[in-house]
Amino acid sequence: MEFSLTDSIARIAGSTGFTALGGGQVVMILVSLTLLYLAIWKKFEPLLLLPIGFGCMLANLPLSHMAYDAEGGLFNLFYWGVKHEVLPPLIFMGVGALTDFGPLLANPYTLLLGAAAQIGVYTTLIGAVVLGFNLQEASAIGIIGGADGPTSIFLATKLAPHLLGPIAVAAYSYMSLVPLIQPPIMRFFTTPEERKIRMAQLKPISQNVKILFPVASTILCVLMLPGVAPLLGMFMIGNLFRESGVTGRLHDTAQTHLINIVTILLALSVGSSMTAESFLTFNTIKIIILGLLAFMMATAGGMVFGKIMCKLSGGKVNPLIGSAGVSAVPMAARVSQKVGSEEDHSNFLLMHAMGPNVAGVIGSAVAAGVFLSLFGDVSAGHAVLDAVPEFLLASAQ
Amino acid sequence: MVMASVWVSILAMSVIFLVLSVLIGVIKVLVHFMPYVEPPAPPAKPKAAAPSAGDESELIAAVHAVLAHHLGKSPQDFSITKINPR
Repeated sequence: MEFSLTDSIARIAGSTGFTALGGGQVVMILVSLTLLYLAIWKKFEPLLLLPIGFGCMLANLPLSHMAYDAEGGLFNLFYWGVKHEVLPPLIFMGVGALTDFGPLLANPYTLLLGAAAQIGVYTTLIGAVVLGFNLQEASAIGIIGGADGPTSIFLATKLAPHLLGPIAVAAYSYMSLVPLIQPPIMRFFTTPEERKIRMAQLKPISQNVKILFPVASTILCVLMLPGVAPLLGMFMIGNLFRESGVTGRLHDTAQTHLINIVTILLALSVGSSMTAESFLTFNTIKIIILGLLAFMMATAGGMVFGKIMCKLSGGKVNPLIGSAGVSAVPMAARVSQKVGSEEDHSNFLLMHAMGPNVAGVIGSAVAAGVFLSLFGDVSAGHAVLDAVPEFLLASAQ
Repeated sequence: MVMASVWVSILAMSVIFLVLSVLIGVIKVLVHFMPYVEPPAPPAKPKAAAPSAGDESELIAAVHAVLAHHLGKSPQDFSITKINPR
């Protein structure tokens, strides 16, 4: 075999990533570096944005075969867990294992605050349709208002997989910005007197109720909305590990090692879906704007319903806990506590806000279940409900 | 299309409120039939019996001997005048 030094150098140079580096990939690498900067130096949801940013960077380095759609690539395997709805429900199991339903069970009416905050999902849905998205895409974008990353990823994978990257980034970015987004809206909707309202101490709940609630709510919710089963079912089994008192090892695993491992896989997979072709579109800008609208409207919805509950209870409910209905556990509850304590340092709203906060997780999962019932890939059990969108479309024309 | 999205929103919000209202009912029923019961207080530790006069003098003698040994002095070189019970 004849050896030519010049040819060999040219061959090696030609096989490097530099030769295949395009403008879009350069922009995406800059986006990934921005995410890394926000995660490491600004502490914006670092557990998620750091692996998402790094996954995005790897996916956009040419010839690396690390993009989510590179057949046989490493992230292609990781992405299998997203595509086949394995990873988001496992995250939900960990969240369930970390969640104490005590405040919610002690004051069950706070579930309504979790429902009211879903208004952000639906105003965003309408906004997305106005901006030209179809109903499936608009639903996946709207669920950003649920302020729940795994739910957003779960629904985007089902209804609009081509929008997964921007939706996940918007959801997690805005979740990290909850302490900045919510307080001005909370102050706008409340008077200083309302923010000073002290709530009665929560009643203790029997352990049997804590054990039976995840079982009973799973049976009822899944019978009503079968599409919600993967998310809510795993959320509730995680909580049952916690409350049953007989599965200490499973509880420990679900709330620590498992959720951490799955977070790494999920975040890298989401990052790998942020390729230049899928991310650098005008739709991404629209989704980022709509995501902000979703969070603002969700907060406003919770606050308005909080005020209604305040009036109906004769001033016994502090409306600030309404903003915690946007999920984002436990950050939204902490924001309620912080804004309340600005008016009265000795007013402790945190535990009261945890009720609507947990209700927000259930509410956003139920909202996702409704979308799946309406627009999802229906199976036999969903066939009857599949007629609903047609009816709606027909009635709208 | 926009009207359809409005209808979807109204329908979905109604379903969410319905589902979560059912859950409120479930919680109310559970809490009603299984109220919280205060756990029984742990049995109080019996207080140590106060030493009698005879016990106290034996105790002082024992402490005296140990202190003398520890200090390397004769027991006659010092005396214990007071022991404060706690």
